[in-house]
Amino acid sequence: MDGVRLLSWLMPAVETCAVDWDEVFREELPRLFNYFRYRGFDRASAEDLTSIAFEKAWRARDRYRRERAAVTTWLLAIARHAATDHLRRLRREVPLDFEPAPAPETPESAALRADERRRLRALLAGLSPRERELIALKYGAGVTNRAIATLTGLGESNVGTILHRTIASLRARWDEGGGTS
Amino acid sequence: MNEDPLSGLREEPRPEFADGLHHKLRSIDTARRESRRAVPARLWPALAGATLVAAVALAFTLEPVRAAARDFLDLFRVKRFAAVPVDPERLANLQQGGLDLRSLVGDQVEVRVQPEKPVAVASVEQGALEADLQPQQPTVLPEGYTLGEVAVGRPGAFRVRLDATKLQQLAQAVGADEIEIPASWNGATIDVEMPPVLVARYQRAADAGAPAGNETSYVLFQSKNPAVELPEGVEPALLGRLALRTAGMSAAEAESFANAVDWRATLLVPVPVRGGSFREVEVNGQKGLLVTSQPTPGRTAGGGGRTRSHSVLVWATGTKVFAIHGPGGGVDLLAMAQSIR
Repeated sequence: MDGVRLLSWLMPAVETCAVDWDEVFREELPRLFNYFRYRGFDRASAEDLTSIAFEKAWRARDRYRRERAAVTTWLLAIARHAATDHLRRLRREVPLDFEPAPAPETPESAALRADERRRLRALLAGLSPRERELIALKYGAGVTNRAIATLTGLGESNVGTILHRTIASLRARWDEGGGTS
Repeated sequence: MNEDPLSGLREEPRPEFADGLHHKLRSIDTARRESRRAVPARLWPALAGATLVAAVALAFTLEPVRAAARDFLDLFRVKRFAAVPVDPERLANLQQGGLDLRSLVGDQVEVRVQPEKPVAVASVEQGALEADLQPQQPTVLPEGYTLGEVAVGRPGAFRVRLDATKLQQLAQAVGADEIEIPASWNGATIDVEMPPVLVARYQRAADAGAPAGNETSYVLFQSKNPAVELPEGVEPALLGRLALRTAGMSAAEAESFANAVDWRATLLVPVPVRGGSFREVEVNGQKGLLVTSQPTPGRTAGGGGRTRSHSVLVWATGTKVFAIHGPGGGVDLLAMAQSIR
């Protein structure tokens, strides 16, 4: 047996898993919340699902193995299951409902941003479930294509291709005035 | 449009939501410590027995390493079960003749995560959450039965560090001269991680306090698939053949059995050659194994014997492993298993 490879396998297993879970919570909360928002859940549902995912992760955190997955990937895997379970219970796709976040803006800029958000969420609503999932992971959760590939089982290059096509499609529809009612 | 508007939809969670959730998470630990109370003693032996069987079987159930196709580690996932007749008398005779199984096998096993006794929980849903499972229960129960105790057990994790010399000595001791353990196996480690087990007991009120060994209750076990990590170079079919030979199979039978088994997905279940029977059954399209033990009339119930037959039904769904233990020849167990939702 290759001793170097054996050691490289054993060392993470014996390494103390000194994860600061309070810090993980602080860092990962916006990521999970926005993942659910980009999946199309309204703010209240996104908060509920974020709670469910974090509670599940918190209870299972003793079993987290850093050598198997980054903590972000691990949490997002739990979040994805939570979203899937929720949608299964509802037996329908939830409508996209991105209310504009309150922001200290001038009335003019706020109106412009709100209009852009409305257009964008209308365009996102027209994506396929897979495209919307990848967009949520990429822009909601803000993770890399490699992490998305790990989470979804798609190849990394495939993830990049789908995202590229989805963005191009959104851009074309945006330029055509799509999303305006 | 560029990509910025997409990123621009990101929002900060409300501070009161963040604070509330953080407080809730911290309170989980407090509640957990407070809710940990001893589970009724009679639930533990059933789980311990099932876990022991699973652990022993797992130790002997290793998939073949297709080194060319895979890297370093490999995983085993239970999809089906196969009964292996074991002759306890033969093993006892071998041990009387000097076979020291504890030394030859036991010394190679290192417990990495100590098993924890089952902890009672308030409901199947709570237990499922703790065991990280989708809660599933039978919708059909034998007449008069209701859900009683629910608990979550943690069977832990162990590591088998192979000792080629001892394995070769074991092969010789059981007369398996045809088996040659490669010296390169020495020091190779196999990690077995047993996920938490959700245990639910279904009982009749009238039978509360039935003597040990004569329980009339049905106990459902469910857990995620155990994880077995194998090092490159270890030929699991060979280990399996050694286990089969130790169990009492002839060289020809062991070879035939080993060739027929999908070592990647089959969990071996030791079944005593006397006093029991087994048959393959189907549970919602999955192959399961029903093992029935016959009564042991020569012993009193209080002394650990059984005055009626009991059965255990095991099956897997691909992601989960189930077992139901209860009285009778298995008709009730099958009805319960088929109704699990």
